[in-house]
Amino acid sequence: MIWEAIGFYSLAIFLIYFAYKTISATNPVHSALYLVLTMMGLAAIFYNLGAHFIAGVQMIVYAGAVMVLFVMVLMLFDLKAEIRAFTRGMFSGLVKVMAAGVLAGLVIGSAKNSVVVVETGAPGQMQAGVDVSRQLGILLYTKYLYAFELLGVLLLVVAVGVVAVSRMKGGTHAQR
Amino acid sequence: MSQLLPVLVLALFVIIFGVVLLWFASLISEKGRKDPVKDETYECGLPSDTSGPTKISIKFYLTAILFILFDIEIIFMFPWALTYGEFIAAGHGLYILGAMSFFLAVFIFGLFWEVKSRALEWE
Amino acid sequence: MGTDAFEITVNFLKMVLIFLMMVQIVPLLVWVERRGSAFIQNRFGPNRVGPLGLTQLLADAVKFLTKEEFIPARGYPFLFYAAPVVAMIPAVLAFGAIPLSMPIAVEAFEMFGHQWGPYSFAFQSYEIGIGIVFVLGVSSLAAFSMLMAGYGSNNKFALYGALRASAQTISYELAMGLSIVGVILLFGTFNFLDIVNAQSGPMQFSLLGQQVTLGFLPNWGIFYQPLGAVILFAAMFAETNRLPFDLPEAESELVAGYHTEYAGFKFNMFFIGEYGHMLVASALMVTFYFGGYTLWPFLTPETAPKLVGGLAQWMGGFGFNVNTWTSVLSAFLLHGVFVLKLALFLWIFIWVRWTLPRFRYDQLMDLGWRKMLPWALFNTILTAVVILIMRNNWSA
Repeated sequence: MIWEAIGFYSLAIFLIYFAYKTISATNPVHSALYLVLTMMGLAAIFYNLGAHFIAGVQMIVYAGAVMVLFVMVLMLFDLKAEIRAFTRGMFSGLVKVMAAGVLAGLVIGSAKNSVVVVETGAPGQMQAGVDVSRQLGILLYTKYLYAFELLGVLLLVVAVGVVAVSRMKGGTHAQR
Repeated sequence: MSQLLPVLVLALFVIIFGVVLLWFASLISEKGRKDPVKDETYECGLPSDTSGPTKISIKFYLTAILFILFDIEIIFMFPWALTYGEFIAAGHGLYILGAMSFFLAVFIFGLFWEVKSRALEWE
Repeated sequence: MGTDAFEITVNFLKMVLIFLMMVQIVPLLVWVERRGSAFIQNRFGPNRVGPLGLTQLLADAVKFLTKEEFIPARGYPFLFYAAPVVAMIPAVLAFGAIPLSMPIAVEAFEMFGHQWGPYSFAFQSYEIGIGIVFVLGVSSLAAFSMLMAGYGSNNKFALYGALRASAQTISYELAMGLSIVGVILLFGTFNFLDIVNAQSGPMQFSLLGQQVTLGFLPNWGIFYQPLGAVILFAAMFAETNRLPFDLPEAESELVAGYHTEYAGFKFNMFFIGEYGHMLVASALMVTFYFGGYTLWPFLTPETAPKLVGGLAQWMGGFGFNVNTWTSVLSAFLLHGVFVLKLALFLWIFIWVRWTLPRFRYDQLMDLGWRKMLPWALFNTILTAVVILIMRNNWSA
C-alpha cells in the first residue's frame, strides 16, 4: 500500500510539473509537447487507480487531441509576434492573476470535497483490467444508455460544425 | 502499480539507451568545421526560407479534428464489443444490438455527411 | 515487477532481452530488405562484405557512428535530439505487451541456501490486462516523434513531411481501431493471452445454440474476420509509413520528409522505430488472426510439453525440476512457431514495399477515409449481427 502511495504521489508531482511547463513555456509547440506528457501522466495515474480502460482512452483520445493543437499552432505560425505580445502584457498579467484565483478556489474546493468522498465511498478493491472495463461497458449500455446515445449526436453536431466553420470564407482554402 | 511499473522502467530504459548511443556517436563521430552556410537547413541548395510565414492547408486541421471525433466514437465501441458476448449469453442480445444501432446510425450518418460535403477531399 | 529478488531480476532481464532482440532484428531486416529488393528487381544487392553481404550490417553500423554530427543552425536542438529517441519508444512499449510464447511455470527450488518460488513468468516484457487498448494507446504516440523531428529541424520540407505523416497516421488509425473492434467482438476480451488461448484448438463455434466443431481447421481469427484482417494489415502499412504509404518521406517532393536533416545514428534510430512498428504490426496480425504462438494440431500449449518431455528429463539431471525444464523448453518451442509466423509477415511487408507503386496524397486520404473506414464499419456491423444470430439462444 505504501508503494502505491509513493507511485501515486511521484506521478502526481511529475504531472503538476508538466502542467506548469505547459502554461509557462513561451514556445507554443513546446507547450503542446508538455501537454502530451501531462496527458500521459494522467493516463498513468488512472491506470494506477485501477481505471485501466479510462487510462487507455486517455492515451488514445487525448494524445490525438493534442495533435490537433499541434497542427493549429503550426497554422498560427504567422501570429508568433502577437502571441508573444499577449504573454508579456499588462492585460495578460491581469488574466493570469484572475486565473490563479480561480485555480486556488478550485483546489480548495476539490480538497474539501475529496475528504467527503473518502469518508463516504469505500475504496473498492479493483480487479485487474478487463473486469473493470466489463463493468464499465455494462453500466454504459444499460444505465447510461441515453447519455451515451446523446453523446453520439453531440459528436455528429461537432463534426458538422467543424466542416461548416472551415468552409466559411472562400471554401476550404480560405485566405487568412 | 505492479502492472504499470515495468512499462515505466522499459520506457526509461529505452530513453537511456537512446541517449547513451547518441552521446557515444557524438564522441567518436568526425568533427567538421562550423560554417553558417553549411549549417543552414537543407532546402535544395537555395538560401533557406523557413523564417517566412508558413502556409498550411486547413485540411490538416480538419483531418485532425475529425479524427478525434471518430476516434471517440470508435473508442466507445470497445466496451460494447467487450460486453457483447455477455449480453447475448444473458439473453439480451437484441437489446445490446439495438442500443448500439442508433449510435452506429449516427456514426454512419456523420461519415456519409463528411463524404458528401467533400470535406475530406484533397485536390 | 515481482515480489523477491529472483523474480525482479528475471523480469528485468526479460525486458532488456526482448528490447535488445528488437534492436538487433533491425539490421537483419535491413539486410533482408536489401537482398529481397535485389531479388525482386533482378539485381545482386549487397554481396561484397562478408558471406552473402551479411557483414555489410556491421560496416553500416560503424559508418552510422562515425558520421559527422549535424544540427541545423536555426533548429531547436533539444527537440532535434529528442525526436529519434522518442521514435523508438512507442514500438518498443507496444511490442512488450504482446505475448511471444506461453507463460513459463517455475516450480519451487533452492538456491544460495534460500527457498525460492514457485513463479510464473509471462513470455513478454509485461502483462497488461487491457493489452489491445494499451497497444493502441501507445502507438498513437508515434506521430509525435515525427512532429518533433519536423518542427525541431525548422525546415520546410521536414515540417510538411511531419504534417503529412501525422495526418496519414491518424487517418488510418481510425480504420485500424474499427477493425480491431471486430476482433474484440469475436473473442470478447482485451487480453492477448486470452485471444491466443481461444485460437489454440480446432475450429469451434456455436451455430444457433449448437456447438459445431470442424476438426480439420484451426480456430484462427482469420476464418471469422477475413475482411477485418485485410483492413488491419493495410492500415498497419500506413502506420509504419512504408511504401505504398511512404508519402511523409516522398523523395520526389519532400527530399526526405521529416528526417531530411537527420544523418548518422539519429537517422538509424528512426529506422529502428520504423522496423519496430513493422514488428508490432506483424505480431498483432499473428496474435489476432493466425493463432499467435500456437499451431494446432501440431504445437499447442497442451502438446508441446509431450514433445519436449524426453529432453526435459535429460536436462532435469543437471539440476532444477523436470517440470520446470518442460515448461521452459515448450515455451521456447512455441516461441519458435511465433517467430516463424512473424517472419512470414515481415517478409510480406518487404515484398509489398518493392512491388507496389506509391499513392498520390489525395488518393491516400481518400482510401483511408472513404474506403477503408466504411468497409471497417461494415465489417463491425456484419460481425455483430452474425455473432448475434449464431450465438443467441433463439428458442428461449
